[in-house]
Amino acid sequence: MTTVPQPPARPHPVRKAGWWARTPKAPYLFILPYLIIFLTFWAWPILSSFMMSFKDSRLGDTAPFGLANWSRLVQDEFFRTALRNTLVILVIQVPLMLSLATVLAVALNSKLLKAAGWFRFAFFAPLVVGTVAYSAVFRLLFNTDFGMVNRGLTGLGLPAVDWLNQSGPAMTVLILAMTWRWTGYNAIILLAGLQGISEDVYEAASIDGATPWQQFWKITLPLLRPSLLFCLVLSVIGTLQLFTEPALITNSGPGNSTMTLGTYLYQQGFRSFNFGYASAIAYTVAAIAAIFSVVQLRLFGRDE
Amino acid sequence: MTTAMQAPKDKAGVKARNRIKAFWLHLALIPLAALFLAPLWMMAVFSTHPESAIFSANPPLWFGGAFGENFRGLQADTNYLRALLNSVVIASLYTVFSMLLTSMGGYAFAKFDFPGKGWLFGLILATLTIPTFVTIIPQFIMVARDMQISNTYWAVILPTLANTIGIFYMRQAFQTVPTDLLNAARIDGASEWRTFWQIALPVVRPAMAALAILLFLASWNDYLWPLLVLTNKDSYTMPVALGTLIGLTRVSWGGIMVGTAIATIPFLMLFLALQRHFVAGIAGGAVKD
Amino acid sequence: MKKLALLTALALASAASAQSLSGTVTVWSWDAAAKALESTIPSFNKKYPNVKVNVVDLGNQNVYDRGLAGCAAGGADMPDVYSIENNEAEVFWARFPNCFTDLNTLGADKLAKNFPAFKWTELMAGNKRFAMPWDSGPVVIFYRRDLYQQAGVNANAIKTWDDFIAAGKKVNAKFDGKVKMGVVANGQDDEWFRMLANQNNCFYFDNAGTSVTVNKTGCVDALTTIKKLYDAQVVATGDWGGQITSFKAGRSASAMFGAWYEGTIRTNAPDQKGKWGVYPMPANKAGGVRAANLGGSALALPSSSKNKAAAYAFMENALATTNGQVTMLKSQGLVPSLLSATKDSYVKVAQPYWGNQKVWQTILDTLGDVPQARGTQYFQDARQVMIVVQADYIKGKYKTAKEALDDAAKKISSATGLPVAK
Repeated sequence: MTTVPQPPARPHPVRKAGWWARTPKAPYLFILPYLIIFLTFWAWPILSSFMMSFKDSRLGDTAPFGLANWSRLVQDEFFRTALRNTLVILVIQVPLMLSLATVLAVALNSKLLKAAGWFRFAFFAPLVVGTVAYSAVFRLLFNTDFGMVNRGLTGLGLPAVDWLNQSGPAMTVLILAMTWRWTGYNAIILLAGLQGISEDVYEAASIDGATPWQQFWKITLPLLRPSLLFCLVLSVIGTLQLFTEPALITNSGPGNSTMTLGTYLYQQGFRSFNFGYASAIAYTVAAIAAIFSVVQLRLFGRDE
Repeated sequence: MTTAMQAPKDKAGVKARNRIKAFWLHLALIPLAALFLAPLWMMAVFSTHPESAIFSANPPLWFGGAFGENFRGLQADTNYLRALLNSVVIASLYTVFSMLLTSMGGYAFAKFDFPGKGWLFGLILATLTIPTFVTIIPQFIMVARDMQISNTYWAVILPTLANTIGIFYMRQAFQTVPTDLLNAARIDGASEWRTFWQIALPVVRPAMAALAILLFLASWNDYLWPLLVLTNKDSYTMPVALGTLIGLTRVSWGGIMVGTAIATIPFLMLFLALQRHFVAGIAGGAVKD
Repeated sequence: MKKLALLTALALASAASAQSLSGTVTVWSWDAAAKALESTIPSFNKKYPNVKVNVVDLGNQNVYDRGLAGCAAGGADMPDVYSIENNEAEVFWARFPNCFTDLNTLGADKLAKNFPAFKWTELMAGNKRFAMPWDSGPVVIFYRRDLYQQAGVNANAIKTWDDFIAAGKKVNAKFDGKVKMGVVANGQDDEWFRMLANQNNCFYFDNAGTSVTVNKTGCVDALTTIKKLYDAQVVATGDWGGQITSFKAGRSASAMFGAWYEGTIRTNAPDQKGKWGVYPMPANKAGGVRAANLGGSALALPSSSKNKAAAYAFMENALATTNGQVTMLKSQGLVPSLLSATKDSYVKVAQPYWGNQKVWQTILDTLGDVPQARGTQYFQDARQVMIVVQADYIKGKYKTAKEALDDAAKKISSATGLPVAK
């Protein structure tokens, strides 16, 4: 056997060995533990919940596959309201919060700041607080007759606002509450990003005569891009799934004027047990979030 | 000569200008920080008043004397200290294991090219867009009915251990590590694992400190999942224990406020402890001053 | 002599079977309800000394969420006794028909007549009896005697909603509009609508649960009345917490709720002891029905329970005996729905907090007049629609209550797939 030359067979095993040799094993081994957990606990739940969206769960386990949920979704006024409310919050709250977080991060990174640790704590602390207590406090703060906010307003000679019983003001309370809770989170991530930027870059820019304003726009923001992108993508996805604040502070009200995709989904899935319809809503949310994310990554990504 | 004379003058000018800048900086930040802390202040104050004070027309603004009473009620209703202990153990285990998994994964995505990289990362990231409400019941069926591991720490920890935000974040962080640095280590004969563990990881330490806080926090405040898989009162986590205080017609606000206040303290300590890592991150710049 | 022997034999037999029951019964419940169930354990253990009862106070929403997950997972981690609110019950029977035990197989059919009919409506699916009635929420008006008196209002003279509005105007005049006759959770909940509709023998759905009836006359009258209350400015708007704040601050001359609100007022405003009283809700028209029900719960027995006999025995002792129900009324103010318990001597005891009025008598006297209403499995969908429509109507989006409710009916129909009744 060995003495018989087999020229035609040679290239093949060599190519195979080459492919095996050329394929890096390290990255797969690094990802493996993550992947095992990920696939074990997510693959089936995602698949089964997606299949569920084609079943009218109001008809029981034996419901046939069909598009009942999806056709309801297209006509559902509540879904449209929830989508609109969610987009309004997205468009106002996310830019507001990220600008504030960026400014805060720069301020917290300043060498001129005394007791920086305590300031960081102050802005980060809201995130630590349990949502039930936090929501109750916000409700009390914005109580029409006895709340601190209205007391402050009337003290300044301004009219009191019926915060939680009117659409616009209720939305404002939500946006303020979300900004209060999440700005510190984003500021911390941006701060970690800022600390990756070398001091030398700024020194060089100062020597070249760049003003702090120019430095911010020309150095800080571009170098902060990976962190900002991270914050942006997460904030958008988080807002599209927003649940806690509208559920606990405004109870989606008054009426359904602060109902979000997250609260509507919860209502359908966990209150009405309409899992099929809830799945249809959830995967619509996922699709919107995915589109937003891809656009953001394309627009601002360009890694390395 | 002239330059030597001018330098000190300039330095004095810079110092004076910095002092003015510092003044404005603090003037802007102090009220803002106060605004951010105000709701926390109210919570702390409420935790020291009897329950009925919370809904009174003049909510208290200063501490009262009912902290002990509220705490005793809370402890009797929920075995709160046990729940805190469970939360600390679960959140710590979760943070350590999730950090390990996500930093290894993030490193691979940031610093290697390999077939399937793009779509694998896309797939992982895509799961972030799916609302948990829709996957949580199938997950529960898996964990409670098929694996039968309800009421264990692992039931709480395992399903979310492969944290999507974590791997995304670590990938972003490792991208800032120069590839040359890693190649230098490899040329010196370091294994891939050593290159990761001893060269790459130390560089991203500030980012890891931030992620550790965020992961710990996510686990610490997680509610719905632990509620479903922990049915035994002795295995409740802190938020689940507090959730039991929300009844149909009665909500034990005194207990919730005091419980939340207590739950915030370990965090304050953890945050201030990890603070040092951030400071270490900027130490290079600070020392120059 | 023979009879006595027979009785003794029977007693011995039942004692023997009582002795033979053992093990642990785990019960899931919430706040006062859990404490009430706990208060019945001593009497239960007298009969069944070998059964250990473990009542777990999970919180209200938690019980529901865990029940959902547990039933979805084929009964995994479910307790032996499960608390369920009446109007949320049917969705469980509809989605998870195998999750709970048909109590008829354990003898519940024999107890049927001991409870008012309206309590069973939502607890049955076909002939199956999936839960046993527990407490109920007969609707009454709680009022501040002192504030009514200062405004020159006589509570006993308020017999219709028009009388109520007239009284409200007097209260407004006396207190410069700072004190209101009530606080409505308009925009947050539709409780007032449900109470008034139920009173007028109308609800979201018909009692067969096959069509949407929310635009029928009784419901139209209910919504019209709420609008009248707003137009006359005798009510304010506020959510659950806001209502508590309001009565604590003395801004509410009255409040309307299921009778379980008794405990809410008593525990939140201990300083107002003796100032409060109770009267039946006003009727739509003179001589009309002055009763409705809001809320109330039941106990169910998951199929996965390994100790069904003991679990059923516990439920029976707590809910189907006069002693059990009166114990819960005494300990936590849970309003009994067992008919024999409503005639217990404790009901006639004067209550010091309520100005020594025999409030339980006033409350329970209305129980027999409560019209049936059925939440069906679509209760939450219908409620969500109604909250919005009511708020929009009060705001002036619709011209008439009929127009508003026609729209509500259309929306409920499209959300549930049930037709609007002709």
